[in-house]
Amino acid sequence: MLIEMQAIQVNQGNASILRDVNLSLDKGSIYGLIGPNGAGKTTTIAAALGLMPVSSGLVRVLGKDPWTQSRFVHARTGALPEQSGFYEWMSAEEYLAFFGNLYERPLTRGEIAHCLSQVALTPRPGQRISTFSRGMRQRLGLARALIPEPELIILDEPTNGLDPRGRRELHDILQELAADGIGVLLCTHLLDDVERLCDRIGVLVSGRTVVEGGLTDLLSANGLSQRFLIRLSAEAPPDEPHPHEASILTGNGGWRIVDIAAKAKPEEVWRKFYALGWPLVEIKRENTGLEALYLALTEGGTA
Amino acid sequence: MNAVAIIARKEAGDLLRSPRGLSWLLAMAAALSAFSLLLISDAELSLLDNAEAVYGMCAVIMGLGALLAIVMGVDTVAGEKERGSLVPLLVAPVSRDRILFGKLAGIAMVWAAMYLLALPYLWAAGGAGQNLAEGLVSLALMGTPVVLGFGFLAMGMGARLSSTRSALMVCLVILLLAASPVILGPSLRQTAVGRIFDWINPLSVALNALDAVIIDSQAVVSQWLHWNLTLLFSGITLWFARDGFYRTAL
Repeated sequence: MLIEMQAIQVNQGNASILRDVNLSLDKGSIYGLIGPNGAGKTTTIAAALGLMPVSSGLVRVLGKDPWTQSRFVHARTGALPEQSGFYEWMSAEEYLAFFGNLYERPLTRGEIAHCLSQVALTPRPGQRISTFSRGMRQRLGLARALIPEPELIILDEPTNGLDPRGRRELHDILQELAADGIGVLLCTHLLDDVERLCDRIGVLVSGRTVVEGGLTDLLSANGLSQRFLIRLSAEAPPDEPHPHEASILTGNGGWRIVDIAAKAKPEEVWRKFYALGWPLVEIKRENTGLEALYLALTEGGTA
Repeated sequence: MNAVAIIARKEAGDLLRSPRGLSWLLAMAAALSAFSLLLISDAELSLLDNAEAVYGMCAVIMGLGALLAIVMGVDTVAGEKERGSLVPLLVAPVSRDRILFGKLAGIAMVWAAMYLLALPYLWAAGGAGQNLAEGLVSLALMGTPVVLGFGFLAMGMGARLSSTRSALMVCLVILLLAASPVILGPSLRQTAVGRIFDWINPLSVALNALDAVIIDSQAVVSQWLHWNLTLLFSGITLWFARDGFYRTAL
């Protein structure tokens, strides 16, 4: 287990910032931590990074208490905070060399070039960070987070401000990292990022974890399904036979709404549709059900 | 390389390579030029003897050094926190003490840069007389703990207050208060309150020592009590900075 949090509480003065947060992240897993503004996501990250002590409960990161053994945890963890500032007068190479030295991993020019190519960042030689775009800065922050060759990466709103291509590229990088066995804790407002990337989620509301678990398990348990729109090139087959994982709700013009069970794989369901004679020409994803779950939890439904 | 040295080198880069740091050095050079011209012209008109010119220049250098240390001290914690560049440092596998001492070394480098920058001006203002060497030594001895103390105070204030602007304002008000007896002149300093303030105010303590060494030609070692008081000030502000820095989170 890379991160284990059990019933943690964080108090500041008389205020209770976190009341009952639970989180568990395994190797190779991408965990989405979501919740409304002020729910305690950043504080949870701060506790995981050993930047603040917890008042009660258990926190273990890489098997250690991050507050008392922060150097052990920091040497093996990459972090990309939400507002990740840089030394504007440095070049990307100088910046990575600076952090390489701090991590006691002095980087050669070749290693710096490798770090930059890992995140698809190609600045001009000697280009100052002050001239970087938002996307370039996010990539540089990620390159910095990868310097310690981490077992765990913690990212706070990493796709904020990125254009669609930048987001997609960052998704690809994170998926590659997870495939290499690195655990990723992703804190975000963007449910689309969570749907695309995460296999586990935790929803925080007012400093409490209101739900935690595998994404598809949670959707199934709450009776939620993945919703799609399909368009046909001709009439549907007689009696409209369909796979048992899918239900066809209504028809509207050339489009039909199809709900697919949360645990089913849509690609397999579409193959079955073709096999049953459905002339599908276009499929659009409406949602995976996460949005409905999130709204229910954060508007006082399950919470 | 040691983490303290790595961070100190970065801090020096903040002063010597960033537009912000270079602008401050340029402003300091302009202020020193103006003061030295004033002192030289006063000395040439025999309104001021050489010792007083050296003393005046040392006082200005120390004051400007304290001002620069405050600006850089606030920026190194509160400024970095606002810009989001502090957290990546805090999550590096380096103890907070090492980060702090790297930043403190950065403040020391600011003072060293200011001292070096001031040398030609000091030479221009007092090079003709006998008091220049005493001025240089006593400025290094008395000025260093005072300037570093104000830098540490600014770091501690920056760590505690939520904004750079608030921390800068509070520190500038403290510097102004510390400099007020000097501005108001000797009559106020002769009163009981003025005398007490003179002994607890690090800037006054250092200036009195400079006065004794440069103008009254007393031995530098005779000012050990003044020197210890300035060291006490820098020690207290160092504790203040360290305590504040340990409270800094996201």
